[in-house]
Amino acid sequence: MQSGKSAAEVVATVKPFQIRGRSFTAVALHLTGRPDRAFFQALEARLNQTPLFFENAPLVIDLELADGLDSAEELMRLTAELRRRKLSVFGIQSGTPAQARAANEAGLISLPAGRDVALERVTRQGSRSVPATPAPAPKEPANRMITQPVRSGQTVFADRGDLVIVGSVSSGAEVIAAGNIHIYGRLRGRALAGVNGDTSARIFCHALDAELLAIAGLYRTSENLGADTPRQYVQVYLQGEVLRIESLK
Amino acid sequence: MSKVIVVTSGKGGVGKTTSSAAIGAGLAMRGHKTVVIDFDVGLRNLDMIMGCERRVVFDFINVIQGDAKLKQALIKDRRLENLFILPTSQTRDKDALTKEGVKAVLDELREEFDYIVCDSPAGIERGAHLAMYYADEAVVVTNPEVSSVRDSDRVLGLLNSKTALAEKGDGSAVKAQLLLTRFDQNRSANGEMMSVDDVLEILAIPLLGIIPESTSVLKASNEGTPVSLDEKSPAGKAYLDAVGRLVGEQIEMRANPGEQRRGFFQRLLGRTA
Repeated sequence: MQSGKSAAEVVATVKPFQIRGRSFTAVALHLTGRPDRAFFQALEARLNQTPLFFENAPLVIDLELADGLDSAEELMRLTAELRRRKLSVFGIQSGTPAQARAANEAGLISLPAGRDVALERVTRQGSRSVPATPAPAPKEPANRMITQPVRSGQTVFADRGDLVIVGSVSSGAEVIAAGNIHIYGRLRGRALAGVNGDTSARIFCHALDAELLAIAGLYRTSENLGADTPRQYVQVYLQGEVLRIESLK
Repeated sequence: MSKVIVVTSGKGGVGKTTSSAAIGAGLAMRGHKTVVIDFDVGLRNLDMIMGCERRVVFDFINVIQGDAKLKQALIKDRRLENLFILPTSQTRDKDALTKEGVKAVLDELREEFDYIVCDSPAGIERGAHLAMYYADEAVVVTNPEVSSVRDSDRVLGLLNSKTALAEKGDGSAVKAQLLLTRFDQNRSANGEMMSVDDVLEILAIPLLGIIPESTSVLKASNEGTPVSLDEKSPAGKAYLDAVGRLVGEQIEMRANPGEQRRGFFQRLLGRTA
């Protein structure tokens, strides 16, 4: 009885901390050889193509194809060079035991090999001539066409292209696309375009009554759309960091 | 060719059971052999609305589980010779329903009846899902207010994806029609209620009928009489019109379904009130 009471008291007090699971997306840099002068030249050329994209991005060095590099000194030098280029190196992956030990000494953590995902924006803007990040073959775009109303509770996802809906999207429904969203009807639900980070994606609809609009993760809800928002024949697009809603008339 | 019609809504309290009873009675009055099945296992109501609660011995669940024959569970209506009721169990819950069991019962009923009306429970879980699963047509009961409309919209989505017809994948679908219940013309005109056009614009399905809000509905329920047997009440007449459209007749949708043909004195009094 007493212990039960004290347990209740513990629960009632404010916790000094909370532990939550969290997953991050990191960039993996696959080394295929020694980090020599040619390597850094190629890397710089690559970084210059999309200067902002990799800036301070969490980065893991993948050593699966890299021989040597099993001394702390070498790794520290490489880390310093990469950090000088604004890459936030924090660990290595797929290393040999010797490389893992060296990484430890160099203040890096050694991760088990993870699953690589293609960076959409990289493949879109990138070139294939850079050996450091071999670009995966670009996926074929696949547009989706829906000719029925999208009902409350339904989710329609075009994961590799545009989404065209001939009909209305009800409140409580969700339409999501990697590319643009076209709605030939009234949008009452939620529309999320450019979900893989395509900031040039747009949403078009005949009548706008949306619960939520989002492009590349930037969103506005119906609450902050404002009374002066155009409601008929509109397009929604990103202008810098602002989600703009504009009449097509 | 028999037809399975599910009466469904998503939201509770909009008039599914009342409508099931009224539609079942309306079909029987037209000479179609009709059975109304209560799918609301655990919250048995249909038998009360139909006025046969004291005659329930075996129920739908008994038949599904093989404890009774279908003939033993079917209750013949005392007023209409073509009308039958398959009541449900009050002591069990929706888990007692199985897809195979429901199919077996419906297949047996299809051999004998012209129309099988399935009174769905509220919600979108097991009971409601199985009530709609084998349907050929659906009557979506909706009140003219936003939450009811949204729930109906959700149910329409399920009818398009989670039914035996939709799962065939050959483009066939459950034919869904809207039955707008508890409609009050005056309150709709004042903007207190959604208008018929508003509801139709959102749900985008054909309109089967508009049932006016009427005191005769509650009275009929309490007496255990399907409201469509009360041909004098506006609600009863509206249900009979809806049943006519359900079997394919062209019946004009009255602009003001709540309007009663008033007598001379009523008109006189109506003006002063």
